[in-house]
Amino acid sequence: METKDQKKHRKKNSGPKAEKKKKRHLQDLQLGDEEDARKRNPKAFAVQSAVRMARSFHRNRTQDLKTKKHHIPVVDRTPLEPPPIVVVVMGPPKVGKSTLIQCLIRNFTRQKLTEIRGPVTIVSGKKRRLTIIECGCDINMMIDLAKVADLVLMLIDASFGFEMETFEFLNICQVHGFPKIMGVLTHLDSFKYNKQLKKAKKRLKHRFWTEVYPGAKLFYLSGMVHGEYQNQEIHNLGRFITVMKFRPLTWQTSHPYILADRMEDLTNPEDIRTNAKCDRKVSLYGYLRGAHMKNKSQIHMPGVGDFAVSDISFLPDPCALPEQQKKRCLNEKEKLVYAPLSGVGGVLYDKDAVYVDLGGSHGFQESDEARPTHELVQSLISTHSTIDAKMASSRVTLFSDSKPLGSEDIDNQGLWMPKEEKQVDLKTGRVRRKAIFGGEEDESGDSDPEDDEEMSEGDRLENSSSDETEEEEDAEVTGKVYIADKGAKRQRLEMEEDTEIDLPAFADSDDDLERSSEDEGEVEEADESSEEEGSSAGERDILDSEALEKGSKHSNGLSDRLNLEKKMKKAALTTSDSGHCTAEEAFASEDESEGNSSLSTEEMDSENEALIRKKFPKPSQVVSGQKQGSESLTDETSDIEDLLKEEEEYKEASNYSTETSGALKWKEDLSRKAAEAFLRQQQATPNLQKLIYGTVTEDNEEDDDAREELGGLFRVSQPARECKYKADSLDCSRFHLDVPHDWDLEEVMNSIRDCFVTGKWEEDKDAAKILAEDEELYGDFEDLETGDVHKGKSSLDTQTEDVEEEVKEEIDSSAEESAKKKHLDKKRKLKEMFDAEYDEGESTYFDDLKGEMHKQAQLNRAEFEDQDDEARVQYEGFRPGMYVRIEIENVPCEFVLNFDPHYPIILGGLGNSEGSVGYVQMRLKKHRWYKKILKSRDPIIFSVGWRRFQTIPLYYIEDHNGRQRLLKYTPQHMHCGAAFWGPITPQGTGFLAVQFVDGTTPDFQIAATGIVLDLDKSIKIVKKLKLTGFPYKIFKNTSFIKGMFNSALEVAKFEGAVIRTVSGIRGQIKKALRAPEGAFRATFEDKLLMSDIVFMRTWYPVSIPAFYNPVTSLLKPVGEKDTWSGMRTTGQLRLANRVKLKPNKDSLYKLIVRQKKHFNSLHIPKALQKALPFKNKPKTQAKAGKIPKDRQRPAVIREPHERKVLALLDALSTVHRQKMRKAKEQRHLHNKEHFKAKQKEEEEKLKRQKDLRKKLFRIQGQKEKRNQKSSLKGPTEQLK
Amino acid sequence: MATQAHSLSYAGCNFLRQRLVLSTLSGRPVKIRKIRARDDNPGLRDFEASFIRLLDKITNGSRIEINQTGTTLYYQPGLLYGGSVEHDCSVLRGIGYYLESLLCLAPFMKHPLRIVLRGVTNDQVDPSVDVLKATALPILKQFGIDGESLELKIVRRGMPPGGGGEVIFSCPIRKVLKPIQLTDPGKIKRIRGCRYSVRVSPQMANRIVDSARSILNKFIPDIYIYTDHMKGVNSGKSPGFGLSLVAETTNGTFLSAELTSNPQGQGAAVLPEDLGRNCAKLLLEEIYRGGCVDSTNQSLALLFMTLGQQDVSKVLLGPLSPYTIEFLRHLKSFFQIMFKIETKPCGEELKGGDKVLMTCVGIGFSNLSKTLK
Repeated sequence: METKDQKKHRKKNSGPKAEKKKKRHLQDLQLGDEEDARKRNPKAFAVQSAVRMARSFHRNRTQDLKTKKHHIPVVDRTPLEPPPIVVVVMGPPKVGKSTLIQCLIRNFTRQKLTEIRGPVTIVSGKKRRLTIIECGCDINMMIDLAKVADLVLMLIDASFGFEMETFEFLNICQVHGFPKIMGVLTHLDSFKYNKQLKKAKKRLKHRFWTEVYPGAKLFYLSGMVHGEYQNQEIHNLGRFITVMKFRPLTWQTSHPYILADRMEDLTNPEDIRTNAKCDRKVSLYGYLRGAHMKNKSQIHMPGVGDFAVSDISFLPDPCALPEQQKKRCLNEKEKLVYAPLSGVGGVLYDKDAVYVDLGGSHGFQESDEARPTHELVQSLISTHSTIDAKMASSRVTLFSDSKPLGSEDIDNQGLWMPKEEKQVDLKTGRVRRKAIFGGEEDESGDSDPEDDEEMSEGDRLENSSSDETEEEEDAEVTGKVYIADKGAKRQRLEMEEDTEIDLPAFADSDDDLERSSEDEGEVEEADESSEEEGSSAGERDILDSEALEKGSKHSNGLSDRLNLEKKMKKAALTTSDSGHCTAEEAFASEDESEGNSSLSTEEMDSENEALIRKKFPKPSQVVSGQKQGSESLTDETSDIEDLLKEEEEYKEASNYSTETSGALKWKEDLSRKAAEAFLRQQQATPNLQKLIYGTVTEDNEEDDDAREELGGLFRVSQPARECKYKADSLDCSRFHLDVPHDWDLEEVMNSIRDCFVTGKWEEDKDAAKILAEDEELYGDFEDLETGDVHKGKSSLDTQTEDVEEEVKEEIDSSAEESAKKKHLDKKRKLKEMFDAEYDEGESTYFDDLKGEMHKQAQLNRAEFEDQDDEARVQYEGFRPGMYVRIEIENVPCEFVLNFDPHYPIILGGLGNSEGSVGYVQMRLKKHRWYKKILKSRDPIIFSVGWRRFQTIPLYYIEDHNGRQRLLKYTPQHMHCGAAFWGPITPQGTGFLAVQFVDGTTPDFQIAATGIVLDLDKSIKIVKKLKLTGFPYKIFKNTSFIKGMFNSALEVAKFEGAVIRTVSGIRGQIKKALRAPEGAFRATFEDKLLMSDIVFMRTWYPVSIPAFYNPVTSLLKPVGEKDTWSGMRTTGQLRLANRVKLKPNKDSLYKLIVRQKKHFNSLHIPKALQKALPFKNKPKTQAKAGKIPKDRQRPAVIREPHERKVLALLDALSTVHRQKMRKAKEQRHLHNKEHFKAKQKEEEEKLKRQKDLRKKLFRIQGQKEKRNQKSSLKGPTEQLK
Repeated sequence: MATQAHSLSYAGCNFLRQRLVLSTLSGRPVKIRKIRARDDNPGLRDFEASFIRLLDKITNGSRIEINQTGTTLYYQPGLLYGGSVEHDCSVLRGIGYYLESLLCLAPFMKHPLRIVLRGVTNDQVDPSVDVLKATALPILKQFGIDGESLELKIVRRGMPPGGGGEVIFSCPIRKVLKPIQLTDPGKIKRIRGCRYSVRVSPQMANRIVDSARSILNKFIPDIYIYTDHMKGVNSGKSPGFGLSLVAETTNGTFLSAELTSNPQGQGAAVLPEDLGRNCAKLLLEEIYRGGCVDSTNQSLALLFMTLGQQDVSKVLLGPLSPYTIEFLRHLKSFFQIMFKIETKPCGEELKGGDKVLMTCVGIGFSNLSKTLK
């Protein structure tokens, strides 16, 4: 059976297998080798129509979509070590913001912060830090934080749904650049049913998507456990945050800004005592973000106002990223928290006190390496009173019997005063430099250090003449000491540890012990820091040598000193040093040596021991010589006293520097780095910088010889002097030569030989060389597999040796290197060729642009990389990512008094001329959710750039001819222009407007949004003004018009102007008339009527009120910061004062009462009538005239019989008429009844029929039902 | 209240242009005191007054206060406006004096500037219009200020003391400038020049050429010196002649030198041959100084580097002229910008004197006047 049934094999006729076979068959026949129709028949696929081609190209939209994805490439300016990312946690009250922040902090750092105030910075990963800040519902805060946010966590109470604040914040974000936004749904545990929850989630998600972008991330925090969110969810959220990428926002990348996390009041307490409301000096701390910030630049603090930075310096990072390591995750020590306003990181701010928390959280417990936070704390402790206060209070007794000197005494000396400007100029490094020499350096300006050097050099010369070579050596060493000391002086904590830098260690090492010994001798200074001591020690060493010199030939030295004193202004440094020396040596030389020796026993490394040993014999020698010197000096005391006073003052100043900069742990190897960098650059930059800018950023001590080097190159040597000298000379940019070269000489001519194409070329550019090289590279190669060597023809002989060597494998190192290099070169060339071949088609304009940007970014990174921060800051400004301290003066006292850490303090840097005011024009649109339209001249609050301010805008619209016409109100659904007088902000900046910020408006608060278009110092917005007049005399086309102007002069101004009547007759003003003042002659295109009104349309420029009022919400008392109210609108004022608006009566709408118009009858002239065709001729029947008597009919007088007959006929007809009427009525009634009966009958019939039908249908239905039932049951029934 | 940026104060009339130009660009008011206070003829000169008037013409909302003696000037800059302007320059200085400043300001106007300047086109003090055309415009192009509307045309030539020249300068506007990296000047591939003569025999100009060529031919054969003899109404009011030479390198650097005859009635007559020879030597001197920007335009290049985006710009210059050095100082006080200055010693190569590599990070300047459409 089975065998018989076997099917015959059938070939497949369709399907992939068959196709394949067919193809193979065709291929076998050499027919269908070109499967592509395009190739087989190219003509059929040729472009027939460009238009159609384009259309088809666009239809599938791939290209459009591809292009749409492109962003304009920008140079990537993100710093290598970026600042922490600002995470703003926003949401309506009671939604769980603080809990979320706490959970996040705990998640990242395993610490619990009880109370969070202000920003909290945490290290969240190896390369990322976060600054988390909470944003309440105050619109001021929302606006400020939206401008600095990188990421917004938008908390939404799912049980309630969206609240207005969320949408407001979203809109604010949108206007100010749209940072990343992540929604977080909370209170999800309040849903009882899962379905309900799901629905709510979906609804909220879709609404969120429409607002942000489709697919925006929305997080769900399902519920609280012990008052906290679930760990896993928080962990996930944290992960999301740490890996998030950010797009650069235009405003943020082009402006530096700081979200301050610490504030200090530096005002002199005395000033506050005398005037509690005096302007304050404040220092603010925070990470610099955005762009580079320059010293002395303008900043704006939203909520406070505009300020100039009086000083800026960078500090060690209090919340530093961990050093690079291979590990995947952070260890506990690296998980730092920094939130000084909340009391983490050591400092707690209360209203009028600062609490310093030592120990506690392990965030700054790493005492083994003295974390920066710790130092900050230390520095803070010591900065309780300000320098000025200390300066003022400190008193110094120089001699045992002299009266103590205060700062005021010194001021009176008038010898020198630290010039404010100079000090400012000199930046941080300079201030600290004072720790060695004193403020004199500042005063004498830029030329000092060199002079100083020269002086000491001179001294040294004298020294050597006094045949004590050892001392000379010493002097040199000490010179070095002081240089190195300068380098290391900022490293306060280094003194104990740093053993590598021996000299500073020595310098730093004389500490309290020595000080005490010194103090009994002369100075009673309360707080002298060790650093300053170090410096003075350094000085002393220098001066030792000087003193020696004095000892040997003191009279000479004395005169020298006096000379020096005369040169005071220029070189106060050295003189003061010497003064110091003499005084000290005279009174406390023994003490000092004691102190020093005690020191030397105390702490010394083996290295500097030797050094100090070498030095210490010296003081004893000095003493002998010194005493003579001091004796001889006694008569010069007055002079020296001055010097000493200076010295003291300087010391006081140095306290300051040590304190402000004292805590700077800095990079440990900064000095080393600096030294390296310096060495590297010393040859290259021999103080050209100094020549131009007066100060050099690197160590600028060794420069005198450099000057000589550059003698031929640069002419300006002393900027100050030169300036004065050149002050009034010729202003010319041409660079004239004093001593031109003699171009007739051969060698001179040869010196520029290579500048021409005819000269010698560089190695890599010489055409012949390149050719040869190419030949070398491509001409020969070695087949590595077979070992065959193919040689180029040209370089045969040169290459043979090499090749042979290779073959023999006797390769010496140099040959190997060259071979390697050659190999690399070859590879590179090949790669280039490959790239050229394959990438050319791909590289578009976009790619090129991107490449260019990338190159620029790399250059930006690389350019200043090898420089130390001090120098770098000078060139670039402070770069983003640095932790900086900014000093600001003249801050309103309310800022300090009403300080509330919950409110963000933002320092927004302003660009050039962004601090000035002018007219700003923008494109504005009323927000679609705002209930009212906006009125011109109503004060409104704008948020533009960093600023929030109230101003009075005028709204306008641009006509087709470019005229800007004033609008009374903004249009409902259209853009319009707005112009106001206010701060100049770059074009393209987005803005938003709110009517009030005091939180009184219940509705959506954002009134309008838009963009800045134009900035100017004048503006022309016009409004229409119609002048009306009335004709008083009408000729044919000429009329005399009065009432439009008041004088002939006015008319003269408008001669030739176009006028029009209400009925539309156009005309022109011709000339003024004499008779009624202001009347004129005008011509029209038609004759006017006396009832016509003539008007002229003119455009009247309106002025914009110069009203600019920054919203100073941060100055309001604590708790009232959201109640700032500025200028009120007239509407509000009217409401408050209950003044009713008295409208112009003419403007009122009233019922139109039209007078009845009486028209005269139409009168057609006879001549016209005659000419008219008959049809149109007025058909006037002549009035029936009186019928002449002869035509009047006579009256009929009937006979009595006739009268009777007529009466009877009348009666009969009346009776008949009555009868007929009655009959008609009867008939009508009858008809009606009949109709009724008929209707009734019909109804009954219908009813019957209906019943019948009903019955029928019922039966039918039953039947059908039965049938259906039976059919359904079918089989079962059958079975039954 | 938005406080006006605190003003800067200077003494003396020198570098007046720099100060006013930088003040205009930075928006900081400037006060200049003691302008020739000790001079017999104190106060601002005519040409300076003319310059201030020119500034007033191209800006909107500037406030200029000059005291009675003219020794104190307060300038509060407005916004640069531009548009079509005409200006009669003082004949005491060349048009170059005004043009140099205009070159600095023109890219940052509200409307593209098109200005007609009348006065002295070539004199012995200021860079002449020819030289500026040949050297300054290529620099502008390097910074992305190009297009056909960038034009400098000499309509009439005017020599001192009479003047009577006319120049049309037009420049497009830009919102931002490109950073530049000009570290290799390349090698000089050709020398071009222009000899001009007005109200003297055209033969004078012809005599210049041979002497100039005799010197330059030793270095490079590709020399061509155009003749520009203006006649009639185009020749201004005073006679004179001169030569300007421009050396162009393979990398598009232009170095220039020029020399003009003494103005009529001042100094001895100059032989055209001497003038040609001296001018050629000046060019060699300029080549010796070298750099990617010639000595006259150093400040222009540095200014545009400063006003660039926040990117690193580099330029190799010859020795800095005193004018440039002062300009750098002014840049620091107006924009808080410092240049990194590295000296590149000439070394073994026969490429003239030491060079200076100037590096800076732009301040991210953007043209606040330009209208957004």
